[in-house]
Amino acid sequence: MAQEKSMAVSEFLSNAELLKQGAEARVYRTKFLGKPTILKERFPKRYRHPVLDEKLTHRRTVQEVRSILRCRKAGISTPVVYFVDYTTHCIFLEEIVGSLTVRDHIASAQQPGSCADAELEQLAKRIGQILAKMHDEDVIHGDLTTSNMLLRRRPENKESDLVLIDFGLSYNSALPEDKGVDLYVLEKAFLSTHPNTESLFEKLLKSYAASSKRSAAVIKKLDEVRLRGRKRSMVG
Amino acid sequence: MDFTRELELFPDHKVTQLLFKDVKNSRELRQCAVEGKISGALINPTMLVNPFQVLVAANKAVHSQKSGKMKTRSLYSEIIFNLSPTNNISEAFKRFGISDGDDSVMVVLVYDRNESPSLSNIVAKVDGQQVPVGDLSSLSNLTKIKQLYKVTPQEEKCGTLLDAVVCRMASKDVV
Ligand SMILES: Nc1ncnc2c1ncn2[C@@H]1O[C@H](COP(=O)(O)O)[C@@H](O)[C@H]1O
Repeated sequence: MAQEKSMAVSEFLSNAELLKQGAEARVYRTKFLGKPTILKERFPKRYRHPVLDEKLTHRRTVQEVRSILRCRKAGISTPVVYFVDYTTHCIFLEEIVGSLTVRDHIASAQQPGSCADAELEQLAKRIGQILAKMHDEDVIHGDLTTSNMLLRRRPENKESDLVLIDFGLSYNSALPEDKGVDLYVLEKAFLSTHPNTESLFEKLLKSYAASSKRSAAVIKKLDEVRLRGRKRSMVG
Repeated sequence: MDFTRELELFPDHKVTQLLFKDVKNSRELRQCAVEGKISGALINPTMLVNPFQVLVAANKAVHSQKSGKMKTRSLYSEIIFNLSPTNNISEAFKRFGISDGDDSVMVVLVYDRNESPSLSNIVAKVDGQQVPVGDLSSLSNLTKIKQLYKVTPQEEKCGTLLDAVVCRMASKDVV
């Protein structure tokens, strides 16, 4: 039986378009029940003990689904979960059609002559608000980058929707330290992907601090983590 | 009138949905289903937002059947179970299966793609008016659906009610 089923999934995947081959998962684009769908498949890691690997992979899949649901309940846009296969560790997600990553959006807005400074500041503020809301729900994303944020243009709205994706490393925690590290990961990624955006990122953090109920302790931890990072780089 | 789709993950399976309103013999129909005289899932359409919701439930049911993980005794009861946001089986039947007084019904069939089930046989058994499956939304009880799936107002700002419902169905085994 299990044999038959895994055949069905692998046959299905062979007709899907591979978008990304990551270290932990492959991401495909496909159609599922008639809808444009993103399929994320976590594959076995040969260097891990099979039992441990299975447990870890299962936990990550479960955690990804839980975090998405938690975020959506709080009004944070994430792709809809259509179906989860816990035997092959596949998650079938809504494809955010016609979306642009925040990374690409910032890059094109930074082109000379694009005059998009005010618009980028608005975007940075919105990102800060959404991350504050997410952390207030005690969801830690675990891999915040501008590639893991999508802009979805909605015909009925002037403003595009900001959609958080890839909760593959997410978990639940109320600890300011975990939230501070989450922001630190984003800061590192943000500043290295987008040159000369220090003041833009400051706006994001300011907006985060103003929106989150418990931001003071988080920002304090962020400062500590930054200091540790700097010390480490001085030694290393 | 009826709506048929192949399941992409299980291409040897097809799902057909038939919708009826002004139904006068729901008690008899339910009896037929219990006795196996109708092989299909009889669903209370007021709890459905969209035919896609049924497809999600049917796909998951076929998957559970093939991997030996069904929570109920048959593919058709599994579809009804999968529609529910909770893991309580009797609650699922009460809310999503048809009850004796119901005046509308959604019939869901799952079959091998080489088979052609007798739809006229089903239509003949229902004392009611068949309507296009696309009319489903006119029968939905949105208040009840939001209540049962516990959809929050802020959640409806970032997506549709169908999105919220499908997410609940897909994640219920892990929450
Ligand atoms: N739900 C989605 N809708 C549209 N594109 C997506 C979605 N999920 C992932 N992608 C694209 O696939 C890439 C890899 O996905 P991920 O591994 O989840 O970061 C992303 O950078 C996006 O460009």
